[in-house]
Amino acid sequence: MFKKILIANRGEIALRVINTCRDMGVKTVAVYSDADKKALHVLSADEAVYLGPSEPSQSYLDMDKIINAAKITGAEAIHPGYGFLSENSAFVEKCDQQGVIFIGPPAKVIKDLGDKITSRKIMVNSGVPVTPGLISTEADAGVMTAEAEKLGYPVLIKATAGGGGKGIRIVQSSDEMADACAAASREAKSAFGNGEIYLEKFFTKARHIEFQVLADQFGNTIHLLERECSVQRRHQKIIEETPSSVLTPALREAMGQAAVTAAKASGYVNAGTVEFLVDENLKFYFLEVNTRLQVEHPVTEMVTGLDLVRLQLEIASGKKLALTQEDIKGRGHAIECRIYAEDPENGFFPSPGKIIFLKEPSGPGIRNDCGVYSGFDVPVDYDPILSKLIVHAETREQAIHKMVKALKSYIVLGIKTPIEFLMNVLQSEPFVRGEVFTDFIDTHFSNWKPYMTDADIARIAFIVDEMCGTRKMRKTVSLHDEIPTPWQTLGHWRHGL
Amino acid sequence: MEYRLKINEETFPVELENDGEEKIKAVIGEKKFDVSFSAVNDHQLHLVINGQRINAYVGDQNDGKIIMIRGKSYFVQDAERVEQTKTRKKGPGSSPSEVTPPMPAVVIAVSVVEGDSVKKGQTVVIVSAMKMETTLNAPFDGTVKKVNVAEGDKVMPGDILVDIEKTEIKEAVSSVL
Repeated sequence: MFKKILIANRGEIALRVINTCRDMGVKTVAVYSDADKKALHVLSADEAVYLGPSEPSQSYLDMDKIINAAKITGAEAIHPGYGFLSENSAFVEKCDQQGVIFIGPPAKVIKDLGDKITSRKIMVNSGVPVTPGLISTEADAGVMTAEAEKLGYPVLIKATAGGGGKGIRIVQSSDEMADACAAASREAKSAFGNGEIYLEKFFTKARHIEFQVLADQFGNTIHLLERECSVQRRHQKIIEETPSSVLTPALREAMGQAAVTAAKASGYVNAGTVEFLVDENLKFYFLEVNTRLQVEHPVTEMVTGLDLVRLQLEIASGKKLALTQEDIKGRGHAIECRIYAEDPENGFFPSPGKIIFLKEPSGPGIRNDCGVYSGFDVPVDYDPILSKLIVHAETREQAIHKMVKALKSYIVLGIKTPIEFLMNVLQSEPFVRGEVFTDFIDTHFSNWKPYMTDADIARIAFIVDEMCGTRKMRKTVSLHDEIPTPWQTLGHWRHGL
Repeated sequence: MEYRLKINEETFPVELENDGEEKIKAVIGEKKFDVSFSAVNDHQLHLVINGQRINAYVGDQNDGKIIMIRGKSYFVQDAERVEQTKTRKKGPGSSPSEVTPPMPAVVIAVSVVEGDSVKKGQTVVIVSAMKMETTLNAPFDGTVKKVNVAEGDKVMPGDILVDIEKTEIKEAVSSVL
């Protein structure tokens, strides 16, 4: 096993990795930018190396700086987390050249699976069902239109180099095709430097269900059951759970098999996720492989009792997988909610800023993977995830109750979070019935407003807080760092009478 | 003692009466509340309201308090103080005719230079916060008087990123008066 690894990431995922390293007695090296000098991952690691300015390209995305940091600290391996360099095959090649182990799949696998056309071809050739559509790029809008007619509208134009929702267009009719092709290609060209596009059938009522896979360096590949991730906003998941309420044992078996086949066909090594679309008739189609640890991996850990980061480190250090498919049994039900710094009342707009008070939920079956603390200034420069809250219970119903309870006791003051919104979603009838599709938020919660049920209590609390005046004795009400004037320190006062 | 407290644009008077040590009686509209309280720490109050035990978490924010109760957030303001403040200064977003970001952000592109004439709705600045890009448009037809930011600058709501002088449609206005 490694003696020391570097974590090329920040926030909750860096903390998540540090946590397991501590369990295993592996020393950790954090890296950080200007904005993260006082970030929790920097405060928690055994060593920390400064990378540079907050701008990701000059810090967390700077491959040479990161590999150099590993070399000067003597870290043998790099865990990339998710995002940043985690799915960058050039980075893996550099690690290989410099003799630093990358904790993830080989460069070629990342490259092949990162290209939508290559990965679709691999799947088609190995018999994994893919979404109906093209398996080669097409520059001619006429050919695209003819193909779209065959598939039936709506269709999806996608960039082969795609990611992050860029270079994607949903097309409803043939007269929109030419414009949409041009726009998607242009957007892909500017985002990825590659304007190649292709066509897929678009499913209006679909579920997003993915399978966790695990493969060692000796060709042993297993899956760790599914995750249901249909509840999304702006194509980003916000609630994930396992098991899915629609998978029958037979369908789970078939999809699990397909996931293992997909991993084997691509030469996969380490932990990865095979994503599928499941339509209304419960037919499933391969979407893509995420060649990294997913944000939602903890729900799998809860029901299987496994530590995925530990397994990642073991596989990367050359250990043979001790688990067989028969060893994998799911127990109970797990749900994860992503706690972002964002405002659900205003289109989920980002809400960076200082956290003036934080109280995390706790209790049996409650886990909060958190990357922030009271007093931390959440920077504008990075992903808005603050923590992921996970619960585990015997049944789905109990897990929902537990999650609502956990959310109720999760206090974040100073920035906006979707805590109340998530409570409403979890308690809504369609969610309770398990009727979750990728259009769930748009269909049921498009103009969400908070219920003001405890407004009177809030008014009383306001007055009591004024009467107690605890904070004002020490600090001004002003949020600025300047020296307080008497007008600020006086607090509540009135003119004249 | 009477407070006028505002939540979500709705102002209600709250009548208050001391009822002993750490005890008050409050009346909001028709409803009466017997309250006993203690401050647990700087941000936590423990309230017993008509026999119901409640933890409320309080933080100061802008011109009010953010209060979390049972997972729900309420932004509560003293209505009188809000009225005083309004006349003193203009808060962020008080004028829709300014080029200002809706949230703390980083400037990723400035599409105009001083002297440019711009059309209403034309992109002038693109900002990014937490990986989400937002386009800021010219609020009216006009001429760019001054560009106050450059790529990479950190900006806050209320910061004027670009000064635009409005094109007067009717030239006659000044001469009439």
